[in-house]
Amino acid sequence: MHILKDKVVLITGSSRGIGREIAKQCALKGADIVVNYRKTGGSSQSKAEELCREVEAMGHRAVTIQADIASKQSVKNLFHETRDKMGKLDFLILNAARAPFKPLEKLLERELKQLVDTNYLGNIFCIQAALPMLEESEGGIIFISSLGSRFYNPAYPLGSMKAAMESVTRDCAESLRGKHISVNAVCGGIVKTDSFKVLRQFWDNIETLPADLFVEPEEIADVVLFLCSEASRGITGQTIVVDKGLSNAICRMN
Amino acid sequence: MSQNLITEEKVYEELKKAIVETLRVDESSITPESSLINDLGAESLDFLDINYRLEQAFGMKMARHFVLEHIEDMFGEGAAIDEDGRLTEKAIELLKIRFGENVPDLKPGMDMDEVPALLTVKSMTQGVMDILQSLPEKCTKCGGPEWKTEDGVKIKCASCGENAAFTNGDDLIKAWLTRVQEEKKIF
Repeated sequence: MHILKDKVVLITGSSRGIGREIAKQCALKGADIVVNYRKTGGSSQSKAEELCREVEAMGHRAVTIQADIASKQSVKNLFHETRDKMGKLDFLILNAARAPFKPLEKLLERELKQLVDTNYLGNIFCIQAALPMLEESEGGIIFISSLGSRFYNPAYPLGSMKAAMESVTRDCAESLRGKHISVNAVCGGIVKTDSFKVLRQFWDNIETLPADLFVEPEEIADVVLFLCSEASRGITGQTIVVDKGLSNAICRMN
Repeated sequence: MSQNLITEEKVYEELKKAIVETLRVDESSITPESSLINDLGAESLDFLDINYRLEQAFGMKMARHFVLEHIEDMFGEGAAIDEDGRLTEKAIELLKIRFGENVPDLKPGMDMDEVPALLTVKSMTQGVMDILQSLPEKCTKCGGPEWKTEDGVKIKCASCGENAAFTNGDDLIKAWLTRVQEEKKIF
């Protein structure tokens, strides 16, 4: 079933990891895709272009647009270009994240500012700039969060930003209700993507966790698809946890 | 001593393989002098991927923290990086010992974000070699004195087959910093 046929989905930070998987799954359901990446000339640009070709091979439109969401001007350009090239936008998936891997108390002022600039302000810049198109399409916004929003993770200052964005999700869901734009979030558990390779650096025995507690990127993407579908029309302002039950149990009896 | 079971050429080959797989660059574009960031387009997450592949291949642990972070941990906050993220004179003195006098742009006031670009294929190869050379005299499990490798990358005990327990990359950097500090009294 092509639930996203003729829909345009923009995923921030989609050259790799969860964002990439969401882009692929949306394309498999019929969507045209805007692939966003931050840095010109590096590996994420080539990965973004490769993803674009994969989506095109599925028979859908795809464009790559470079933009650093921490810059308001860059975000404006991202959405102008989206309108120019795709004509509209139905779903905005806020997936991009960027953070140093150090405890909060060790962050320099500029690292703290960058943390907030990308992971809080950047997401809000995107929401603001996407609004005109989302109003026209009566589309949706989905924020990709992580369990770091509510549990301690070693050297993971991003957690506090994820918590802030889950709050923004509730706020915007109400304030955009009149415009018929849905806003929800998906909170992932431990997903084996590039970022997991960071986690394992600070969490020595993480690989001894039972395999069935690791979330597959497709499992996150499937819930994003659900939130993009008519079937989720009753859900608003919510953060749906997709963690294979990791956060449910204080103790696990094997 | 590594008993010369794994040569530098072999490490270089494995590193090239990891770079090609991670960055999807053409193998012919990689030289020992290539900067992973400036010449091969690596981004910070790519280093984790490359390190992960090397760790899986050789059965060791690469350093989790760059030398600057170790300096701060060992010699106090501000020892290597000032509040604006610029390198101190002492940090530069130390990096020159580690990367060589002739590295361009290595001067006080250098932005900390420019430091990772100093990593070359050659310096990463050396980093892996340092870890492999930490091979213990005897097997930690059975005490056997002989090591062997069947695939040219993983070193095992010749008697019981246990994987060799190398010193991890962070501990090697700490030991190196302690040695340099004793000799030169930089901090």
